[in-house]
Amino acid sequence: MESISYQRFPKIKIRELKDDYCKFELRETDASMANALRRVMIAEVPTIAIDLVEIEVNSSVLNDEFIAHRLGLIPLTSERAMGMRFSRDCDACDGDGQCEYCSVEFHLRARAVTDQTLDVTSKDLISSDPSVVPVDFADTSGSGGFETPEQRGIIIVKLRRGQELRLRAIARKGIGKDHAKWSPAATVTFMYEPEIHITEDLMETLSLEEKRAWVESSPTKVFDIDPNTQQVMVVDPEAYTYDEEVIKKAEAMGKPGLVEIHAKEDSFIFTVESTGAIKASQLVINAIEVLKQKLDAVRLTEDTMEADDFGELGAHMRGG
Amino acid sequence: SLTLHMEHGIHTDQSAATFSIENEDHTLANAIRFTLNQDPRVSFAGYSIPHPSDARVNIRVQTTGLPEGDPARDVLKDACQNLMGMCQHVRDTFDKAVEDFKKTKAVDAMDIEY
Repeated sequence: MESISYQRFPKIKIRELKDDYCKFELRETDASMANALRRVMIAEVPTIAIDLVEIEVNSSVLNDEFIAHRLGLIPLTSERAMGMRFSRDCDACDGDGQCEYCSVEFHLRARAVTDQTLDVTSKDLISSDPSVVPVDFADTSGSGGFETPEQRGIIIVKLRRGQELRLRAIARKGIGKDHAKWSPAATVTFMYEPEIHITEDLMETLSLEEKRAWVESSPTKVFDIDPNTQQVMVVDPEAYTYDEEVIKKAEAMGKPGLVEIHAKEDSFIFTVESTGAIKASQLVINAIEVLKQKLDAVRLTEDTMEADDFGELGAHMRGG
Repeated sequence: SLTLHMEHGIHTDQSAATFSIENEDHTLANAIRFTLNQDPRVSFAGYSIPHPSDARVNIRVQTTGLPEGDPARDVLKDACQNLMGMCQHVRDTFDKAVEDFKKTKAVDAMDIEY
């Protein structure tokens, strides 16, 4: 039987796009879809991170597991991740999850020989696969020969003369749900787009001083007074954080209904910041693919077990 | 995996069912619930999470069950399909938006050179 599809067709407009930052508008869709995208971006888009560390020599001041933990948190460029298999699903390797199809091998050798403290950084991690390397945070515009902190890479440990660190590490594919080291997102947020409407006739009854006081009452700069016309205008509606200070101030001044602000229910402004493991725009695309895969898995499940014994489900069903 | 729980004792009536899905959470369930509510054949759609420590979600679907009524299972599958279609549309729209943005940026860069 053919079902009428009430599918909506969302619209997207990109505001800003950098390698690790993307701001875009998503319209004509529901909050549940926007939230699903946000949750998938944070917890279910796969990346690659170090998961197994074999330490040969460690005479540094940090103990082995401390260093292993830090290595896991280093972001690795994970373009390969979507096409890679999880180690547990890999049938090519003989069970130890270290074959070339499901993992990437790293090694690190550092020894401090001079009197100067040696900083062991993520740049010292040598990969067996040139497409999976620690993220380089260097500013591409260059800084004229100075080695700024960002260009040195993430410091893992510092060594004194005579101290040595030698290890072998295996990086695997994983998702943020299992461990936060695999989350490709630094922050992902979305806000409702506000619709601000000033009641002009009420606004006319305010003196310039009152207008100034009211504009000042907002913690963020949403309104301003036009220097020429002395009118209050909306200068940045998206700076509004849904605190209702201006509304409270209007009521305190005896002018309730001076401004009407409500959130457009189907208009969202997404801000996506990535750790560098995946490009921000690629992160959004991967999130959509992962969501589709999850839906496919539900849709195609053939072996539905029919049961009228509810078990643990029972309490929920009976209202317990 | 998907476990289908029918109303107790009413195995012949396929119009209402509770689906218990393992290893899922609000991410999928809320999106499916919304899509189900858009379908005119659905009289009730909701989801619950029996216990936060268990990764399991129950989705309840009740259809209008008219003589030609679709079984709840098919309605759920159609909802998944519609949602997948919307995802694909979002993806295509996003790809196009990125292309358009890069084009406008290139044009702006050219203007600055003059």
